[in-house]
Order: sequence, then C-alpha cells, then structure tokens
Amino acid sequence: MLRRIWALVQKESIQLLRMPIVYVGLTLGPVLELILFAAAIHTDIKHIPMVIADQSRSPASQSYLIGFTNSDSFDIVSSVPDQAGVVHAIDDGQAEIGIVIPIDFASQVAQKNATVLMVVDGSNSFVTQSAFSNAQAISQEYAIGLTHLQLSALNPHVQILYNPDLKDVWFLIPGMCAFLLFGIALKLTAFSIVREREAGTIEALLVTPIRPIELMIAKMIPNLGLAFLDLAFTFFIGSVMFGVPFRGSLLIFSVLALLFAIGSLGLGLAISSVSQTQVQANQLASLVNIAVMFVSGFLFPVYSLPFVLRLLGYVMPMTFFMTITNGIMIKGVGLSDLWAASLSLTVLTVVIFYIGARLFRQNLD
Amino acid sequence: MELNFRRLVILIRKETIQILRDRRFIILFLGLAFVQLFIYGYSASKTVYHMPLAVVDQSRDEKSTAFLQALVNSQYFDTAVYLDSQAEVVKAIDRGQVKAGVVIPPNFAANSEKGSADFLIVLDGSDQFAVGSAFSAVNLVAQNFGLHLTSTNLLLSGGNAATSDANPLLPITASAQVLYNPDLNDKWFVIPGIIGMILQTLAIEQAAILLVRDRELGTLEQILVTPVRQLELILSKLIPLLVLCLITLVVSVGFGIFWFGVPFQGSLFLYFWLSLLFITSCLGLGLLISTRVKTQYEANASSMFFMLFGLLLSGLFYPRIGMPLIPQLIGDLVPLTYFLRISRGIYTKGIGLNFLWSDALILVIYMLIVVVVASKRFKMRLD
Repeated sequence: MLRRIWALVQKESIQLLRMPIVYVGLTLGPVLELILFAAAIHTDIKHIPMVIADQSRSPASQSYLIGFTNSDSFDIVSSVPDQAGVVHAIDDGQAEIGIVIPIDFASQVAQKNATVLMVVDGSNSFVTQSAFSNAQAISQEYAIGLTHLQLSALNPHVQILYNPDLKDVWFLIPGMCAFLLFGIALKLTAFSIVREREAGTIEALLVTPIRPIELMIAKMIPNLGLAFLDLAFTFFIGSVMFGVPFRGSLLIFSVLALLFAIGSLGLGLAISSVSQTQVQANQLASLVNIAVMFVSGFLFPVYSLPFVLRLLGYVMPMTFFMTITNGIMIKGVGLSDLWAASLSLTVLTVVIFYIGARLFRQNLD
Repeated sequence: MELNFRRLVILIRKETIQILRDRRFIILFLGLAFVQLFIYGYSASKTVYHMPLAVVDQSRDEKSTAFLQALVNSQYFDTAVYLDSQAEVVKAIDRGQVKAGVVIPPNFAANSEKGSADFLIVLDGSDQFAVGSAFSAVNLVAQNFGLHLTSTNLLLSGGNAATSDANPLLPITASAQVLYNPDLNDKWFVIPGIIGMILQTLAIEQAAILLVRDRELGTLEQILVTPVRQLELILSKLIPLLVLCLITLVVSVGFGIFWFGVPFQGSLFLYFWLSLLFITSCLGLGLLISTRVKTQYEANASSMFFMLFGLLLSGLFYPRIGMPLIPQLIGDLVPLTYFLRISRGIYTKGIGLNFLWSDALILVIYMLIVVVVASKRFKMRLD
C-alpha cells in the first residue's frame, strides 16, 4: 500500500511541477505580496493634496496657513480665489481637502471669533477622515498658541507591547503566513481531483488497484509539501529582509500549522468533490478565499465586524490560526495563553476534514 | 482575419446554451458577485470601533469615571474587563482577551485640577488596528476631555468664556463642509469601489479559465477541424461572459442603491457605457492570461495577481497617496485604478465626462492595446 501511495505521490508531484506558475508563485509570490501589502497598508496618510482659498491675504491668515505648509500631512497643490474654486478642484480630483479663509479673517481673529471653512471630499472617506482630523488638529494647535492659556492636559503615556517601533511588516507576516498556507493548500487540492474527473483520467485510476483513501492521501502529500515550502520561504524572507522575529516555540507552531494545513486540504477536497468542472471548483474556492480574507481578521479586525460576519469568522480555522501565528511569532506566548484558539482550531479541522473525506468517497463512485 | 457574422451568431448561441445548461456555473458566477458585495460592503471600514479594552482605575473618583465614560461613549472602545494592575493588563493582552488597556493612577481628579494628570495606555503592538486607531482615538478623547476640563475650571474661577458651543476658548473655529457624503458614511465610499473590484475579478478570472479550458481538455482539436476562425472563437466565448458581467453590474448597482442605500448621483447612461469599456478591458486581460498558460489552475493563479493588485494598489481601500513609486506604477497597470475614479466620480460625486475624460481615455487606449496584443498572441494551435 505504501508503495502504491509513493508511486502516486511521484505522479502528482511531476504534474504539479510541470506548471511554471508553481515556481513563480512559490518564490515571487511571498516577496511580492509582502512588499505590496507593506506599501498599501501604511498606517498614517501623508501628502494629501490640499487647495487653498485665502480671501483675507493678511499676515494673520498667512501665519495660520504656515502650519499647513509645514505639515507632512498636506501638500498645497493650488490656490484659488473662492469657495467655488475649491469645490471645483475637488470635483476635478485635483485635491481632497480645501480651506476657505474669509475676507475679514484678521479682524475676526482680533475679536477672538474667527471661522474658517474646511471643504472635504466625502467620496473618499478613508482619506477624508484622516485629512479632516489632521487639519483640525493643526488649526486647533494654532488657535491654542494664540490664547496663551495654560491648558489642563491629560498626558497619555504609551506602552506598546511586542512591536515598540511599530514596524508595518511585523503586523503582516503572521496573517500572510496563514493566508498563503491556506490559499495554496485549498486551491491546489480544489483543482486536483476535479481535473482528473474533467479530463476523464479518474476512470483510468479507478480501474487500477489503487483505493480511494490512497488516492486521497497521494493527492494531498505534494500539496502539503508545497504549502510548507512556501511557509518556510515566507519566514525566511520575513526574517532576512524585514527582520521579523520568531519569539515562541517553533515546535508548537509546526504542529499547529500542520493541523491548519490539513484542515485547508480537507476544505479543498470537499470543494473538489462537489464540483463537476474546474471552473466550478475555482469559483467555489474563490468564494471561500474571499470570505476568509475578509472575516478572519486578516484585512479588518474581527471585533469590529457586524454580528453575522463575526459568526462566520468564528467557524473558520483561519481566524484561530491567525491568533496562534501572531501569538507565537510576535508575542512569544505559549500554549497556556493559546489553548482556547488551539482547541477551536483542532475541533474545526477534524470536522472539516471529516466532511471533506466523506464527500470525496461519495462522489468517487 | 475575416469575420463571418452568421457563423459567429451560431457559435454564440452554442456557448450560451452550454453556459445555460451548466446551471451551477451561473449560480456560482452570480453567487460570487453577491457574496463579495455583501462581505466587502459590510466588513470594509477604515475606522475601527468597539475595540475590547481592559480598564485599571486606581483612582476611582468622579474625574476618572468621567474619562472612562468618555472613552466608551466615543464608540471606539468596549470595556471588556476591569483589572487591578498594569501587569494584569499585559497578561490580558498576552491572552488576546483585549487589544488595549488603560491604567489610571491614584489621585487622577486632584492632579487634573492642578492642570496635569497622567495616565497610561497599553497597546497590543502586534495588532495594526490597535496601534493605529486605538492610539489616535485615545488621544482625541483625552484632548477633548482636557479642553473640557479647562473650560469648566475657567468658568468655576469666574473666567469669561465665549458663548460659542464648539470650543469656547479658542479664537479660531473650523467648520466643515463635507462634499458628496455629508454623513461620512463608509458605505458611500465602499460600494462604488467594490462594484469595480467584483467586475474586474470576475471578468479576468472567468475569461482566462474559459479560454484555456478547451486547450487543457483537448476539445480545441474538435473546433480546429471546423471552419471556425480564431476571432470568431474568441468573440463567441467572450460575448456571453460580457452579458453575464453586465447583469452583475446592473444587479450590484441595484443592491447598492436599494439595499445599501447609497444614492446614485450621476448619469446612469454614462456609467453603463464606461463600465462596458472597463469590463471589455478586463476580459481582454483574461484573454491575454489565457495565451500564456496551459492549465486552468495556472489561469486562476495568474489572475489572482490582478485581484491582489486591485485590492491593494488601485486605491480601493488603501489610498494611493503616499505609496512608494513602484507599487504605484504597478497599480497604474490595473484597469480598476482608472475605473475606481470613474465609478466614485459618477456614482458618489455625480460628475460627468468633463472631469473624467482623462480616465475614460486611458481605459479606451488600455482596452485597445490589451485586446489587440491578446488576439495576436492567441493561437489556435495545440502546443
């Protein structure tokens, strides 16, 4: 039996390695994804294009605007005569935010009752919120400077655990390791069995002495190997290029990662079993992939999701595996802190794999 | 390369029948669009609310209670647990029970009356949302609370504060006019973007897979022996797909307006034609991918790159402002980058071609290049 499985594993591996995309995905994939994610998810937004309508043109208005010119947050792209000009520049997409300073600004400031108008582009709300609060902070700071008042201050002292320098890549690596492991195991398996069915080669395999369970194992081993290679490569890139630490126990991590990978393979198996064509398998796998990306805490935190999506997140092994990866790699905690997540992961893996294996057997004959 | 119109119509009919018979394909195609619309629509938001917070209040006076109340009222935090010491907060973050903790030392009220009170905020540095949103939220609440304290102190000591209710102390107030989206509702920003994202993902991926399928399964041989020309074959595969994408577009916009309640401000007519242009560019990209791969798995894996680029670099959720040059340039190669500006422009801003002509023009050029290059590369050969 072992020899039969080994022969099948060889066949599957050759088929896999014949596809150029496998090499590209294995090597370029993690590097590219890391760089792109790090580039996209920068925590603070700088150089927001700003348009100014200074109708006052007084020393007061100019000193007010110095705060904006000096700030990294804004680039002043143009100067227009009035509010309509500001709106036009935002319509045009030339600027995201504009400031209108009224004609009598200087005398208003003298009377301690000046108002400026900030016009913000609400169609781009992620930028808007950041832009508007920055602009308000600059404005407020200037105003406080004018009052010479002693303000009651609450002084926040900040203690940042685990990642005190706030390196962006440290946030990404745990999630990306989980996501890459999941994606590769899921997709490769989802395509593998239905490909044989669509090409008609499954019949040829079934008339041989190979039993379904052997076929199943043989299909999974190369995929598992590839997924782990990719995981190792991501770690390597992370630690060599970006200096991401690995603080916890590698052994515990490997065991839990294996468990997670088996669950992902089981899901792929289920998809491959219920699909009639590779097109369908791909659609189903994409569906799962997108859902996992959005509700597992990879892109957006689980606790701020609406109730139904949060529930969905709690039946996905990825949600718990992300907690585990993050905990072991970055926080450096052990099973005593992670037992709940590990238990959930184990239960979900067993259930999913059982369903996958059942569907595989049912759909083979 | 001549085009026989009758033959094309017959071929399209054949493909349509094939698609219609594969009921699961259609269900999954539209299902994929729906699930994306709902998951993106409900999960994507920039501001993170209801972050679980651990509280250590060693002061237990009215000022500290008021400050903690202000933190919860800001909606940014939910008090998950009350603890006794900083060490316990760190343990709770270790466990993953909370993402942030606030420690208020004794004598908070007395110190704040003297003008300077300290407190400690502990953040989970492994969670980008905790360090991003939580930190600025705490700062904001603390600043407002401090201003509020100052003004009450002044009033108590008989100082004469102005009557304006915003910030009675400050000589300059900034009033805001938010264009297009006065309530700053995230959905108004998200929906027009994800319509583009969904269309791009579906069009590229499905076109690439459908076109490579005949080659992988060997049915291309059967088509080769018929008088069907290459262009006819391509068009007959892409036109039914285009129709499916257009149905998805109409349904998605319908859901955007009636389910998510995001009003459509611009011209539906213009939106439709520019979407058609965008979808065609994406189908062309799918065609281009199909010429470079041999199996459906490869077609899928290659189109995943475009999905990733679209998600990260087009400006869908993460602003393109401030991105390094190379990721920006990669983003420029994705059709979604241009369509996003068009989609948000027409849908949310209600502006027309006089503002959007440059993006529309780029899409036209893009489409022509992609379709011409892909058709040149597409070979009706077996190897």
